[in-house]
Amino acid sequence: MTDLDLSTELGDASRARLAALADVLIPGGSGLPSASAADVAGQWINRALAANTDLAPAVREVLAVAGAPAEALAEVRRRDHVLFEAFALAVSGAYFMNPAVRNALGYPGIAPRRMPAAEGEAEYYLEDDILTPVLDRGHIYRSVPN
Amino acid sequence: MASKQDHADVLIVGAGTAAGVAARHLAEAGFSVVCLEQGEWVDPGDLPGNKPEYELVGGKDWHPDPNIRRRREDYPLDHSESDLPVWMYNGVGGSSVLYGGIWARALPSDFRVRTLDGVADDWPLSYDELLPYYQAVEREMRVSGLAGNPAYPPGFDPPLPPAPIHRTGQVMAEGMNKLGWHWWPGTNSLPTLNREGSREGQCVRYGVCRMGCPEGAKSSTDVTHLRDAVERGVQVITRARVARVTLDDSGRANGAIYLRDGAEHFQSASLVIMAAGGIGTPRLLLMSTSERFPNGLANSSGLVGKRLMLHPYGVAVGLYDDDLENWLGPAGEHIGSMQFYESDASRGFVRGAKWSLLPIAGPLEAAEKWTHPLSLAGEQMWGDGSADRMKSFVRMLQWHVIPEDLPEETNYVSLHPTLTDSDGLPAAKVNYRVSENTRKIVDFNLARALEAHDAAGATKSWIAGRNFMTGHNTGTAKMGNDPATSVVDRFGRTHDVPNLYIIDASVFTTSTGVNPTATICALAKRTATHIASNAGKLEVAS
Repeated sequence: MTDLDLSTELGDASRARLAALADVLIPGGSGLPSASAADVAGQWINRALAANTDLAPAVREVLAVAGAPAEALAEVRRRDHVLFEAFALAVSGAYFMNPAVRNALGYPGIAPRRMPAAEGEAEYYLEDDILTPVLDRGHIYRSVPN
Repeated sequence: MASKQDHADVLIVGAGTAAGVAARHLAEAGFSVVCLEQGEWVDPGDLPGNKPEYELVGGKDWHPDPNIRRRREDYPLDHSESDLPVWMYNGVGGSSVLYGGIWARALPSDFRVRTLDGVADDWPLSYDELLPYYQAVEREMRVSGLAGNPAYPPGFDPPLPPAPIHRTGQVMAEGMNKLGWHWWPGTNSLPTLNREGSREGQCVRYGVCRMGCPEGAKSSTDVTHLRDAVERGVQVITRARVARVTLDDSGRANGAIYLRDGAEHFQSASLVIMAAGGIGTPRLLLMSTSERFPNGLANSSGLVGKRLMLHPYGVAVGLYDDDLENWLGPAGEHIGSMQFYESDASRGFVRGAKWSLLPIAGPLEAAEKWTHPLSLAGEQMWGDGSADRMKSFVRMLQWHVIPEDLPEETNYVSLHPTLTDSDGLPAAKVNYRVSENTRKIVDFNLARALEAHDAAGATKSWIAGRNFMTGHNTGTAKMGNDPATSVVDRFGRTHDVPNLYIIDASVFTTSTGVNPTATICALAKRTATHIASNAGKLEVAS
């Protein structure tokens, strides 16, 4: 099967539909934007589908389901859980790539970054005799006969 | 007709974890060595871990499931009759490219399960016999950790200092102390110090070890061994898919036929070592039929492919009040626990499990704690309230519980009757069911892990899934003393073919309950040492 480059095929109507469906999954709140406010249906879905080409068929299939967004997704979830999860992965993968979302969630930078340990950091966490109770109990391995 | 390559003293089928250890050792001992590898070298710049798309790419092009990656070199796996898929990486460095870097020796009791617990079989060697090889490969793999772990006999002294256990480990350690349970700072094959002249970097805690390290700071054998091995004369032929191992007239292995870019080649050798992994090695042996071995090479016992063990693991998570920066590496474990590793008859099962407290690489991995089909979160991830759940991602801790999986001949690898790889060679079929004993180990340990979360102050905890795949594919060419009930002897030499050796996880007599890389490397080192030390006395091809 040829990989679908859905990101270049999505027109304005499809993107509007995608935004509405995505908002059902990610309505936002608690300081987080909704999926549509985070532009999930714009540049971020393009990047998500380029990063994982297996997700495009799921997005295409869910976009073809008619009805109000919440009912359409509820129907997909009832009928085909795997399809629902693939669609949710595409939408959430796009959402979490938005740097503003990532920052609001508490992740540093736009991607994992170099954070080498500081000198003495390993020892710092082992202060206050935190290992003493473990050592005081002695060996716990099982002896074996020769 | 196959083109013929220069003769090698030793042919290694594969260029993965075990192959790297053996190839470098044998080259340093003066042997000419050729590795046939179906995949390619990894360019660290291609790895996804430091790119915004890292989790999505890690779920496709760098996924550990070959059926999802679907690269040219990935032979298909039919796991329609398996409780879980099988993971591996096909390329130089093998599955060490995508492993987490957790480094755990097996315990003395692991080698004596028949004697101690009356199940499976004792290994034909002991912990003490393997000890010097563990120590040697711990230096080569630049293992970091804290000496003195009371879960092990004295002498487990990692050569490099431990990584910080971080706030994650500290919070959980305090909980474990309340319960009086064992824990220890993580031991990982992730260097915590730079070494002058080393190809390997120092861990900078990206926390994405399981997608490959973009810093080259995880001890995968493409980095630690095989580049050095090539400088010492080892020839690594990539894109070389072995079709079968060949025999001379006297029944000794004398090379392999392989396919490369559509052409057939023959690599001759005096001695052949199989290092294609717990699925690939039995697949190739079963493909290498002959009049002498109509049921597969070295398979007079009928055990090639049988006794597959997979370590299906479970995950228990907890949510805490504070931001724990749970994305910080290494990943690798921050802390581990062997509290419930050894058998206790009162629990209603034999053997036990190792626990690892691992970071959570990013939001998609965190969301999976709700979305996994076997998650007992009790609420949907998506929809109303999803924002609050997302805000809890960085306040989550996860225990991975790895159970010992005991061997059963009903769990096995075979050749697929119709499915093939891109060269037309038979795909592998995996039949695997989680045993009742394994299920009980996981149930018991997940219940205890939830208690650990409670003791550590979690506001909510749940079992986030089970039957997760580890890539720990072991047992399919059993090591033992009796040729009737095992495939290889205590040095990895096949009982049936005197110059054919196996050095990957296929030879595990039992799976142990720990991550297998340390034992894979130690066994490979031991077999390579045996070959190098007995060069003049070993049988070779004519």
